[in-house]
Amino acid sequence: MARLPGLAAAALLAALLAFPLVVTLPFPRHVMIMIFLYATLAQAWNLLAGYCGQISLGHAVFFGTGAYTSSMLVKTLDLTPWAGMLAGAVLAAALSQVIGYPVFRLQGHYFAIATIAVGEIVYTLALNWDLIGAARGLYVPIKRPDSLSNFQFHESKQAYYYIALALLLLAVAVTRRVERSRTGFYFRAIREDALAAASLGVAVTRYKLRAMALSAALTALCGTFYAQYVLFIDPESVFPLSLSILICLVAVLGGVGTVWGPLVGAAVLVPLGEGTRILFGGTGKALDLVVYGALIMLVSVLQPAGLVGLARRLGRP
Amino acid sequence: MNRLVVLVAALVVAVGLAAPAPARAQAREVVIGVLYPLSGNAAQVGLDSVNAVKLAVEIVNGNYDLNVPLARGEGLPGLGGARIRVIVVDHQGKPDVGQGEAERLITQEKVHALFGAYFSSVTGTASQVAERHGIPYVNAESSSPALTERGFKWFFRTSPHDGHFSQVMFDFMRDLEKRRGVKFKTVGIMHEATQFGSDSAKVQEELARKYGYEVAVKIAYRDKATNLDAEVGRLKAANPDVLLPSSYTNDAILFVRTAKNLDYNPRLLIAQDAGWTDPTFLRETGKDAEGHITRAPFALDMAAKKPLIRQVNEMFKKMGGRDLSDVPARAFTGFLTLADAINRAKSTNPEEIRKALVATNIPADQLIMPWTAVKFDDKGQNAGVRAILQQAQKGQYVTIYPFELAAADVMYPMPTWKERR
Amino acid sequence: MTAEVLLQGLVGGLLMGLVYALIAAGLSLIFGLMEIVNFAHGEFLMVAMFSTFWAWAVVGLDPLAALPLTAAILFLLGIATYHGLIRWILGGPMLAQIFATFGLAVFLRSGAQALWGVDFRLVKDPLVQGRLELAGLFVGLPQLVASAGALAAFAALYWFITRTETGLALQATAQDRQAAALMGIDTQRMFALGWGIGAACVGVAGALLGMFFYVFPDVGSTFALLAYVAVALGGFGNVPATLLGGVVVGVVEVMGGLLISPTLKAVVVFAMYLAVVLWRPQGLFGRF
Repeated sequence: MARLPGLAAAALLAALLAFPLVVTLPFPRHVMIMIFLYATLAQAWNLLAGYCGQISLGHAVFFGTGAYTSSMLVKTLDLTPWAGMLAGAVLAAALSQVIGYPVFRLQGHYFAIATIAVGEIVYTLALNWDLIGAARGLYVPIKRPDSLSNFQFHESKQAYYYIALALLLLAVAVTRRVERSRTGFYFRAIREDALAAASLGVAVTRYKLRAMALSAALTALCGTFYAQYVLFIDPESVFPLSLSILICLVAVLGGVGTVWGPLVGAAVLVPLGEGTRILFGGTGKALDLVVYGALIMLVSVLQPAGLVGLARRLGRP
Repeated sequence: MNRLVVLVAALVVAVGLAAPAPARAQAREVVIGVLYPLSGNAAQVGLDSVNAVKLAVEIVNGNYDLNVPLARGEGLPGLGGARIRVIVVDHQGKPDVGQGEAERLITQEKVHALFGAYFSSVTGTASQVAERHGIPYVNAESSSPALTERGFKWFFRTSPHDGHFSQVMFDFMRDLEKRRGVKFKTVGIMHEATQFGSDSAKVQEELARKYGYEVAVKIAYRDKATNLDAEVGRLKAANPDVLLPSSYTNDAILFVRTAKNLDYNPRLLIAQDAGWTDPTFLRETGKDAEGHITRAPFALDMAAKKPLIRQVNEMFKKMGGRDLSDVPARAFTGFLTLADAINRAKSTNPEEIRKALVATNIPADQLIMPWTAVKFDDKGQNAGVRAILQQAQKGQYVTIYPFELAAADVMYPMPTWKERR
Repeated sequence: MTAEVLLQGLVGGLLMGLVYALIAAGLSLIFGLMEIVNFAHGEFLMVAMFSTFWAWAVVGLDPLAALPLTAAILFLLGIATYHGLIRWILGGPMLAQIFATFGLAVFLRSGAQALWGVDFRLVKDPLVQGRLELAGLFVGLPQLVASAGALAAFAALYWFITRTETGLALQATAQDRQAAALMGIDTQRMFALGWGIGAACVGVAGALLGMFFYVFPDVGSTFALLAYVAVALGGFGNVPATLLGGVVVGVVEVMGGLLISPTLKAVVVFAMYLAVVLWRPQGLFGRF
């Protein structure tokens, strides 16, 4: 695929790095952090769905796993969230294999609905699991002073901003690397035609599982970040079906199966959601969501390949 | 390069939307950020509360002959007649949105105080932001006891929490046993499985143990359930002496319908507010809810004894067409408490407002709630709260407990479905 | 747990399952025709329930009397959805289709909130109310009528698909749209018709539910989730098998709640779904 010229990518990165130095207000920074978070989530999802063709509507399972693992470790063992983040990623990857092994036997819509089913099961179990606070949720203990090892920053959002950006860069780097590797070719072969890929000797299930493990681990990292950023988690905010669908929407809006798609999707969808909510949300008439829904339909009709596809089309002479 | 243009354009849009709004705060204006859920399942409660807040603003800013703080005379006299302006935002029931909005309201809209949130989870994250920025946060309705146990300096709650709420139910059971010469042995707990219901059930279970009642059955269910046959079937099988449900509106309605269908006849039902006190509940269940008792911090029927309640209710009805019910009544009271503190602070300086909040003392006769006062303890919890119980009798809620406030006698046991026909 | 309670649960689950089945039938029909999962199906149900409610609130029509009207309104909504949205994404990837119908869902749900508010509403004193008592067993009359209505609608749908010329043309299109086009069938018309009929099924289900269930903008989501499971259980695109899928979901839901735990009944339903599809990856009666 065509790549952004290196110079332009470097300029974009420089602009993102400089952003918090120029904008000191917390809210624009918050919006940027949310963009990074959703871009990373969508990128992780993209690895499995966009490259490998397995459409998961249950990714919140891994997000919640990351959030709960690190928070529980902070709470019970007073472990630094960074260790918890790693543990969460490992646990999510392991969980993804347990889920993936049977569920990958299913195809198309059956797979998608099976992931919804898994998501709902995990969500319901979390709602009732007293050890992790059940439906009452979990407050992450507040630690002072701000420090990197505590992974809590109360004075300024700058540190959160750079950590989120780093997560995004990590996801992009992993995706680029996979894209160019042999594994990436296998992923795409499976997406295009699993049967043909199998007949050519690709171990289909093994590669699907590999894509899922990578995707789940990256998603779990975001979960820990979210928990440390908001400092309160409950099943309603980290395990719901609506989160799984939102992750998918971000990627689809931007364009799946491309490195830039999830980034563009998040850069458009997050500010759109925030903006319409701030402009129309106070009325209680849900006008913001009316506009949001209409726009989603419009994009899917006009440009099913996502905004990146649109840009590519415009780019042609 | 065109793709780059799109990317950059997208980012510009992003930053543009998030760019700081021009500072609009004027000298003679007090700005308060108000957070409520205005979409999703709880939107009706959010809308009612926003209307209650708007009514309180109207009463403060205008000149009304009412016996509540700041009604007479326009604006806040302590600040030279300054007016209150509210900025209402929808947090969609999401803790992270509440957090972001609190941040935006404080740093960009320059609000002088924050108010609201309804959901305990959102109140939790939004008040964290207020604490960090040193801005007063008044909450009027979140019932999780943990909120005032965090050692916060800037957080104040005017409403009772689940601990107060459930205590009154068990006191009532005791007193009823004495009065009627009956003995309750078992209680059944039924609760919806989000934060509100789980918190409430946990407190009730502890209290049951303390008061020596056996929990015969404890059922959690999803508030969006399409079918409660299994839940009611289990209750019917266990048949506890007292049923203690904690439900939202839709599931409360569904429960009553299902109980009717399956002929489940609890002898005593004491509900945990929420769905049972939503005016929609009685409107839709009508005589099917006859005999149901609910804990309620607000009693419209006490208007007979306190004309203030009737006056406020009539004004409230003009705003949204609905009767004042528990949650908006609490929002109204909480908001006036905040306005009163700002007035006494004679300043919009956060520390002055906080000090004034600490010194709050609103007497019972200026409240539409059945409380003894609004007066905060050292944790920021209103110490003057008092919960009451109401029973649906002839299609209307009447106060039955504490007995000295009762407008009617308790109907016990509840009529069975056969007797209702 | 006594046998009486279990039997009561069985009856209740069966009755509700038939309504789930009718909701699922519309979903299955649309999928069979063009392999699109309608993620706005729950919102279609919500629209049907609202139109039932308004027919009662404004004109005083009983839900049963309003049933043809509701079905007709939903039929038109289905056709409009096809021509306004689905037609344009037929050739697109599966993801774009999920995306589009999801956008429609958000649009309809929030549109309903904007127009009618968020309050819960119920039809009061419907024509059919009360309950029957048979040897200690209780059956709600509205539920009984609703399930009978669902069965009748199912039979009518089955008759239409298998016995009428249009229905056969629908089936032919579902099997092979190119071949159908070659045989002179207007596939565009068939697709639109499929959406119309699929939505009309939900219309009937909404009117039946309107007799005893409250309505508000978000009412459809839980029903839709159960309908997806029912469809996948029976096998996507296999309309008659959906009947079984719906009933199984209804019964398992109540029995799981009674025997295991009410909180975990969603877990039981979804776990059963997973077990079945893992055993038979195309659903019980998959057609592939």
